[in-house]
Parts: sequence; C-alpha cells; structure tokens
Amino acid sequence: MSLFMQSTVSIETDKPQKTYCEHHAECLKKIQAVLDGQATEAEKEHFRQNMDECLHCIQMYHLEKCIKEAVQNKLDKRLCPDNLVATIKAKLSLS
Amino acid sequence: MSVIMSEEIEEIPLTASETAYSDIERHDIFNREFMPHINSMYNFAFRLTMDEDDANDLVQDTYLKAFRFISSFERGTNAKAWLFRILKNSFINDYRKRSKEPSKVDYQEVETTYNSEESAEVEHTTDLRVESVQDMIGDEVANALNSLPVDFRTVIILCDVEGFTYEEMAKILDIPIGTVRSRLHRARNLLKDKLRTYAASMGYQTED
Repeated sequence: MSLFMQSTVSIETDKPQKTYCEHHAECLKKIQAVLDGQATEAEKEHFRQNMDECLHCIQMYHLEKCIKEAVQNKLDKRLCPDNLVATIKAKLSLS
Repeated sequence: MSVIMSEEIEEIPLTASETAYSDIERHDIFNREFMPHINSMYNFAFRLTMDEDDANDLVQDTYLKAFRFISSFERGTNAKAWLFRILKNSFINDYRKRSKEPSKVDYQEVETTYNSEESAEVEHTTDLRVESVQDMIGDEVANALNSLPVDFRTVIILCDVEGFTYEEMAKILDIPIGTVRSRLHRARNLLKDKLRTYAASMGYQTED
C-alpha cells in the first residue's frame, strides 16, 4: 500500500499536471479515505488513475497526510494513573 | 442497586444473547480483554473532557459498568470498540452537561452549516504549508483540536489516534458509515482552518 502510494504520488512525472482541480472537494474525501486505509475499490482506482496528473490533488494529499501524522504523533498520550487502576480493581475485588 | 437505570441500558451495546459467565470467567475477561485498553480509554476520556479528574471519573465509571454488564459482551469480539462505546455514551449522559469545554457551539448546528455550505462549494485552499504543520509542536496541534466541537474532535481521535476503522467508529458512535465519513471530512476541514489561522498568527509561512 505504501509502495503504491509512493509511486503514485510522485511529483516527478512526464504527464501534464493540472494546477487546479475542479473536483477537489470530492477528491479530498477520496484522499482522506485512502490515507485512513478505508477507501473503497472504486476510490482507490480513481486515486490511481488521476492523482499523478493533478498537482492540486498531490498538494492536498501531502497536507492531509502531514496533518494526520501530526495528530497521530505530536499529541502526548495520557497514561492511566496507577492509582485509578488500583481503585477500579479494589471496587471489583479483583487483584 | 439492582434497579438498572434505563439510560444505562442504552449505554451498553446489547448482543443478541447474553452469556452467563462464571465468576472466574468474568474476572478473566475483565483482566485479559478489558484492562489492556485502559491507557487508550484514559487518553480518549482526557481528550473528551480535557480534565484529569473528569477523565478519572469517566474511566472508572466505564469500567465498573463494563463489569456489571459483562454478560452483554461476547468473548473474543472487539473489546476495545465495546468499551469505547460505553465510555462515549457515559460521557454524553454524565459529563457533557457539565463539560468545561470552551466551545459552546452546538455541533448539530455546525454540521448543518457545513452541509449547506458544501452545496455552495467551500473553497478548500491549500495555503497551509506542510512545513508549517511539521514545525508545530504537540501543544499547538492539541489546542487546534481542542477548539473543535466535541463530536468533531471525537471522530478525529477515534480515527487518527486510536486507528479505528470507519465500521468500528460507526458502531461506537451509533451512526451510519456514511455519516462517519462526512463528519470526519468536516472535522478535518475545521481542524485545517484552525491550524491555518494558527500558522498565520504565529508567522509561520503560508502560501500566497
């Protein structure tokens, strides 16, 4: 999946690239589904067919990917305090 | 105490049949299938309530309910999604009313606004630069996320932080998959707007 993305979303391509995508609102939804690993076959196919011809979509792809990664990696993960685990177990008489 | 509150029943994802587990089985399920998710649950509770004490109470309530209604859980099925759903419903019923979140925007209203704007075609500018987002620190991303109405914040956390599938999110949130997709899409557009405003105010470079 990641290989396919790298080969598809390459800026260096011989094909002429559009700088404005008139379907960008719809494309953005497909891009998000692809990044979430939740795209349908039709969405993946659309992505494969059109992405490398559209600079606008390539830019949207990179920004979406970057924001998703920022949410994934930059937010600190709050760990459950040990005393809460102990309290829950005590209330249920578990050890 | 044996009387179950009607709203509590709604919080528990009911299965077609209940399983009568023995005490040993109940403890075993709780320790092996429920407890391993407690850090994710706490993190989710904290992101929802934005308060450590409330997160503590919410996680405790959720785990006590999960144990009480353990016969509704089918062993070997998706315990994490089952627990997240109880936590989300407990949050709606018990905490949301007294939530300390600064945004008092009614999410339904926001969703409706975005729906209606979509027909007029919102301009999705790409003037927020990848480099600006990459340069941001965790607190800046957290502030942007926290400023979203809770239902939008929730889908982003479930998807991007916890890695739930759209199908799992649909079950946790009791909404159709199509609504998961559209709510996630709107949530991300809102988040992008916040990040863009933030980047501009902090003097991060934005495209002209």
